[in-house]
Amino acid sequence: MTLETLETLETMMDAMFSQLVMLGGSGMLLTGLIVLWRKHVPAYISAYRWQAWLLAAVTATVGYFGGDWRLYVVAGVLVALKGIAIPALLRAMQLRFGKQPQITPYVNTETSLLVAGLLVLFAYVLARPWVAVTDLPTREGLPLAMALLFVSLFIIVSRRKAITQVIGFLMLENAIALLAAVGTYGVPLLVEVGVFLDALMGFLVMQIFAYQIHDTFDTIDVEQLTRLRH
Amino acid sequence: MTRYLVLAGQTLVAVALAPALAGFIRWLKARLQGRRGAPPWQPYFDVRKLFGKEAVVSHTASWIFKATPFLVFGTTVVVASLVPVVVAQVSPFVVGDLFAAVYLLLLGTFFLALAGLDTGSPFGGMGASREMTVVALTEPTVALSIVALALNAGSTSFSQIVAHTLTQPSAALGPGHLLAFAALFIVTLAETGRLPVDNPSTHLELTMIHEAMVLEYSGPYLALIEWGAALKLLVFLTLAANLFMPWGIALSLAPMALLIGLGSVIAKLGVLAAAIAVLETRVAKLRLFRVPELLSVSFVLALLAVMSTFLAR
Repeated sequence: MTLETLETLETMMDAMFSQLVMLGGSGMLLTGLIVLWRKHVPAYISAYRWQAWLLAAVTATVGYFGGDWRLYVVAGVLVALKGIAIPALLRAMQLRFGKQPQITPYVNTETSLLVAGLLVLFAYVLARPWVAVTDLPTREGLPLAMALLFVSLFIIVSRRKAITQVIGFLMLENAIALLAAVGTYGVPLLVEVGVFLDALMGFLVMQIFAYQIHDTFDTIDVEQLTRLRH
Repeated sequence: MTRYLVLAGQTLVAVALAPALAGFIRWLKARLQGRRGAPPWQPYFDVRKLFGKEAVVSHTASWIFKATPFLVFGTTVVVASLVPVVVAQVSPFVVGDLFAAVYLLLLGTFFLALAGLDTGSPFGGMGASREMTVVALTEPTVALSIVALALNAGSTSFSQIVAHTLTQPSAALGPGHLLAFAALFIVTLAETGRLPVDNPSTHLELTMIHEAMVLEYSGPYLALIEWGAALKLLVFLTLAANLFMPWGIALSLAPMALLIGLGSVIAKLGVLAAAIAVLETRVAKLRLFRVPELLSVSFVLALLAVMSTFLAR
């Protein structure tokens, strides 16, 4: 093979790599939007599951093209923890709460979707200088990861159900993992494991809180927490 | 000369195929729901029967009522002639780009809403008001999702967009393309009165949108309106098929290429029609007040598509 064909092969691989990362990143962003659109908790849980699987796929893709076997391990742990275990825990939480009356969010659906659109625009503008200085093939995933970060923060502040806020937090955590994967080809395995444990602990603590809220107030509407109970 | 003949022929094919497409969706839906269903070519019989009947027009109706069926059918045929159905002209073809298509379709819808109000029947007015609500939300999305492609191709002409996607097949899998396709598909359902937004097969006063506007029409007028609606569905599905997955479309006027183009467009329309039939079997109609939510989802998808093609360059 001549040097030239090798080079074209390399640029083709790079193009495919960046296409795949962009595809996974946009898929994750879409699952974030689903939470803003749908009104039922099972839909949120399956959106979260999809997001975790997509994150694992992006991580594995980065591992394959970046030639780092440790990212496969990370992807495997991601599937086991966020793709299977946490959705199962969320489902158990949902079953324990039973059927909840529909609680309208602080911001209605149409407005939240438009706000999400603006947040994505903001993320693109914010990531522009960053994208301009790096020549990583994954750079086009950076604005998507930041957009998911903003959208999940918006989910946390605009929803009133404790369980939706928990899912918003978990999505925020996914966004940071995506940012790490596309921005620096993953962080050291030790740090990654620590983050997983933190996320799991955080989730468990929040689950206990949600159960306490539900037991005390008979609802998971966090609005109830602002008033004293007699 | 041949070029104009081919373009005219392509429009005729679209007009002739439209009832079969509507009939095919109906037939497939019936089979999926365990009914036998009318054969796919039933709409042709319907149209022929309606043309043989007398038209009854309300006394209070003005000329708008009588002109509307021709306008609706005419604008849709013109749009069908602009859309690359079988062949995409690679040479710069100045007449008719995406904005012309979007606003010609809107003109037909506008007159349909006027005609709904014209007879003074309460259903017509209700349908017209609902249709305007839906259209006000879908129209920007249609334009925006095609603009996402036009930005990539650097031209708003349909043929240029098709040619650009053919030269850059990897772009067709990019997020910009996929998001724009999802947005256009949702909007197609809303614009052509399909299930999550409007139910094409009932006359239930609480739910109907398109059917409420055309309730007063009969005979040849109704035939034209029905045919126009079927053609509009075909135009939207062809846009979705040929702009996003242009493979197989003829780029030259050679007979073989045209035959392949015809075969591929029929196959693609068949796949999309099957997708609509499956979707209509699985989902229930949305409450009218939740329709804007669905449409704002599609708007945000189109917006994201434009952003990821425009800002990520």
